[in-house]
Amino acid sequence: MSFNNLDTLYRQVIMDHYKNPRNRGKLEGDHITVELNNPTCGDRIDLQLKVNDGIVEDAKFEGEGCSISMSSASMMTQVIIGKNVEDAVKISKMFSDMMLGEEVDTADYKLEDLGDIQALQGVSKFPARIKCATLAWKAMEQGVEKEDE
Amino acid sequence: MCGPTGVGVLYGKQHLLENMEPVEFGGEMIDFVNLYDSTWKELPWKFEGGTPIIAGAIGLGAAIDFLNEVGMEAIEEHEQELAKYALEQMEQIDGITIYGPRERAGLVTFNLDDVHPHDSATALDSLGIAVRAGHHCAQPLMKELQVAATARASFYLYNSKQDVDLLVEGLRKTKEYFGDVF
Repeated sequence: MSFNNLDTLYRQVIMDHYKNPRNRGKLEGDHITVELNNPTCGDRIDLQLKVNDGIVEDAKFEGEGCSISMSSASMMTQVIIGKNVEDAVKISKMFSDMMLGEEVDTADYKLEDLGDIQALQGVSKFPARIKCATLAWKAMEQGVEKEDE
Repeated sequence: MCGPTGVGVLYGKQHLLENMEPVEFGGEMIDFVNLYDSTWKELPWKFEGGTPIIAGAIGLGAAIDFLNEVGMEAIEEHEQELAKYALEQMEQIDGITIYGPRERAGLVTFNLDDVHPHDSATALDSLGIAVRAGHHCAQPLMKELQVAATARASFYLYNSKQDVDLLVEGLRKTKEYFGDVF
């Protein structure tokens, strides 16, 4: 009885983000808030974004969920802070393609540019967990859309 | 029920079913058709418009025959024995929370401390053990229990005590695995 392939999913860096989430908390001042759930599994994210002149100046999240959903949220905030909205959405699309096991468009960003996110690549081999990983990204996309309105 | 998915039974009081209008229209459910109104055949045809799910219905019949042959009481007794055994074994795991009373249906709902049930479920899955993790279509209960989600092992006629032993061993390993990485 041994855990086949479990280490390809639960990489050390994922566990580190789960245990020590980056940008967890509440933003002060003006910001956009998006709350999203995965109703079937109970994961919940409350994402706050501060967007000025099309730039994501700051991002924080709160919520509860499994190691995959919470680490993905932590990594997502790290990579989008400082990016413009267009690039944040581009990276979100790359991430979504990565999860679906599709070819990732690396015209603007290489996978190496995405930092710790690469560690989530293994999730694509666990179909039941893909929605955990994409929750925070969906929240981010909804948030920046709100900013457009 | 061990039958095919996508097929089921509509069970109801005859006089109420007779008063109900059909929601699906199609062949075999029509009595008279006029330009502006129609009448329906009697029960059960009124509710069986169009080509039925033939293979599914035959499969469901076979499943019912099978369950009757095994016997509902025998199935319940088997489930109860496994649930009782599972409860006794699982309670001995350090750092496990088990939900619900001792008198229970053929299942055990639980959480491993500091391990999210989805992570437990994935770990158990990789050992070939299928459990359900999440809200179990019971969000108010999760709120009442003050947990985000739980994991649940259910037993049926094809499970054995050996399966329970494997589950318990798997839970210990899962605890160890996530204990190490955290």
